[in-house]
Amino acid sequence: MTRSTGGWVIAKDMSDDAADVQRVLAGDVDAYAKLVDRYYDRCARFAVRMLGNRDDAEDALQATFLRAYRALARYQERDKFSAWLYRILVNQCRSIAARRAHRDRVFVREEAVLLNAPDTSRPSWSGEDEEFVQRVLAELDPLLREAFLLKYVEELSYEEMSALTGVGVSALKMRVKRACDRLRERWERIKDD
Amino acid sequence: MIERDEDPWVDWIAAEAGRPVALDPGARERLLAAVRAEPLPTRAPRPWRRLFERRPLALSPVASLATAAGLVGIGVLAGAMIYRDGRPAGPPTEVVENTRLPVHDTVRVVKFVLIAPQAKEVALVGDFNRWDARATPMTRTPTGGTWSVTLPVVPGRHLYAFVVDGTQWLADPTAPLAPEDGFGAANSVLLVGESHS
Repeated sequence: MTRSTGGWVIAKDMSDDAADVQRVLAGDVDAYAKLVDRYYDRCARFAVRMLGNRDDAEDALQATFLRAYRALARYQERDKFSAWLYRILVNQCRSIAARRAHRDRVFVREEAVLLNAPDTSRPSWSGEDEEFVQRVLAELDPLLREAFLLKYVEELSYEEMSALTGVGVSALKMRVKRACDRLRERWERIKDD
Repeated sequence: MIERDEDPWVDWIAAEAGRPVALDPGARERLLAAVRAEPLPTRAPRPWRRLFERRPLALSPVASLATAAGLVGIGVLAGAMIYRDGRPAGPPTEVVENTRLPVHDTVRVVKFVLIAPQAKEVALVGDFNRWDARATPMTRTPTGGTWSVTLPVVPGRHLYAFVVDGTQWLADPTAPLAPEDGFGAANSVLLVGESHS
């Protein structure tokens, strides 16, 4: 069983981040590619797990890194680059999920009228672990999913999560607990099937 | 110390979700191409910061609206204090003028002014031009470092900022700042009212 090498908000290569940011601000745009490379995979993982598909995840990543780039001159007096970047990512994922929820509602309603068919927007489990896990995560409320991913996949502390989300520690603990409870309930249903 | 859930099922979900994911191989290149198309971010030099410090400023909409409302006494007094030879008196600074002109009921003409004597070019960006730095270039006055542009804006709440020399993103220090959006970019708020006539 592999686990992520979490805790990356406290980046061991923070000095590299600071140096690359300085180079970008001095006019070296290629230094930004190093920052992108350093965090791209981790951001991609969170976005895919959070949004459930790669197209939306790609949109979230592009918006995240572009916003960070535009605001780069202002970040360094406040945060570690990685924590700052991750906060942008979390917000972007929330925005895209909200837009998609509206879009899907319209689509499903129109489809149902046209086809007189039930909602088939959720794929059935093909037996692949990733698809199955993605589907189980998608069944969680977005705020519970976000808290679960930050805690158990990205392995952040509750204090780091609070800084990223603006939500209090006790509320985050409750969300993580509820997410775990939902997952256990899901497991019970699987066993019963 | 990493906290784990004791349930092996939950732990398995977390472990599987923690596996790397692969996006479209071209996604990273598209992202970097989009970054390169952006103006280079630069830090504002100190003199700019001093110039753009927030300070109290009388805005022309006050005089305009007061006059329009028939508050002649107050209007005349404010006008006498604010205007001299048709130009704002007092220390030079950024000025936003929301000049109400009798165009029609649904659009106001707004004049945006920025004093930036060292700038080579200034553009206005906002939700009204989709934040396009090429859409609304500002014009320098012949005699000084004042940049301005006038454009029609529909009534409502608008966010805007100035882009100096294609690199510096500046909020208007004399206008209310928009709430922090969590992404680091500072924008100003422009409130354009409905017709008062």
